Amino acid sequence: MPSLKDIKTQINSVVSTKKITTAMKMVAASKLRRSQEKAVAARPYSSGLEEMLSSLAASAASGEGIVRLLTGTGSDQNYIVVPVSADRGLCGGFNSSINRETFKLVKSLEQEGKKVQLMPVGKKSRDFFNRVLKDKIVESFIDLNVSTNGYDSALNVSNKLQDLYFDGKFDKCILVFNKFKSAITQEVTQQQLIPLDVSESSKEDKEVSNEAKTIYDYEPDEETILKDLLPKNVSIQIFKVLLESDAGEHGARMAAMDNATRNAGEMIDGLTLKYNRTRQAFITKELIEIISGAESI
Amino acid sequence: MTKISFDLVSPEKLIFSDEVGMIIVPGKDGDLGVLPGHSKLVSSLRPGRVMVYGEDKNLLKSFFVSGGFAEVNPEKCILLAESVDEVSALDKNSIEKEIQELESNANNDEKEKLLIANAKIEALDSSFYEKI
Repeated sequence: MPSLKDIKTQINSVVSTKKITTAMKMVAASKLRRSQEKAVAARPYSSGLEEMLSSLAASAASGEGIVRLLTGTGSDQNYIVVPVSADRGLCGGFNSSINRETFKLVKSLEQEGKKVQLMPVGKKSRDFFNRVLKDKIVESFIDLNVSTNGYDSALNVSNKLQDLYFDGKFDKCILVFNKFKSAITQEVTQQQLIPLDVSESSKEDKEVSNEAKTIYDYEPDEETILKDLLPKNVSIQIFKVLLESDAGEHGARMAAMDNATRNAGEMIDGLTLKYNRTRQAFITKELIEIISGAESI
Repeated sequence: MTKISFDLVSPEKLIFSDEVGMIIVPGKDGDLGVLPGHSKLVSSLRPGRVMVYGEDKNLLKSFFVSGGFAEVNPEKCILLAESVDEVSALDKNSIEKEIQELESNANNDEKEKLLIANAKIEALDSSFYEKI
């Protein structure tokens, strides 16, 4: 049976853990609000860009150079997978679900006979893949801090990806990230970044305004604009994903810390009960000793 | 139709959104004046000034954009800019310093930055289009 002092120390340590988790929860909640605002603020740009792209995409003939971001290389043997995780832990299943999903994706691609490379973003996925698939990592990005560095953080990743692409290092790029659904739910999502999948986002409005789109004037001309637009779109997509992942991280941490706080509370209750019982048991034992001592005299 | 709705958007946020009388946009092939009822147009931009006018052609705001795209239709003009500063917020001294630094290490990456910085100076000095 543990002594009273042991239980007391245990209670104290759980109490201080609870204090920490409560504080972390509140910090995550305020950060969540801020990154959510940022994610919302970035939306007009990316939707505007998407709109422009979808009106231009039709005019892109399969071609050389930058247009390949849209049309692809014509092969699908080499994949690059970009898992986007957080830099820090203590946020529930946020990072491990990304890693698990990416791992599964890599294995299934390999079974189809494709070659796969990895470019982890975020400390947690970099560390994980450094352990299990070290030979596949071509590059990794950590400490991007999208909430403070803004758009520039996405540019780094996007430039590197495009360099690799135009060097012919891969044919398809797939992002794996946590989509921000609500403050407490994130959804692991795969998105094909290169070649760009326009059909999906613009299918509906294409039918509606196919006619209207054809009468746009282009200055200087379609091809030049497309050449500017496509690399930018890659960066913007990455930026959007980084922001979503950032918001998701804070949401996940908030939920995880909320759980932890509740568990700590339950544990404290249980321990306090145990403490009181033990104390009472000691008192009863002493009483019995005294009484039986007195009786024997 | 005397007003056109104008959105100025950077990757980080929506910077300006209102109904205005006219916008002058630094298109790649030259400045464009966008009035209500402009024909449909998509253009890429060069670094330069975006001037926003009210209904009676009074200058409301002027921004500096470092590049981007404009989409125009008769009712609406959307400007997707990479980075946006209000011209009045630009600081000439610090830009000149930046230019000097950039000129001293002329490598390819920086050339674009230099171009932008020079355009900033130009934007500060010029008084074109301030009164119409």
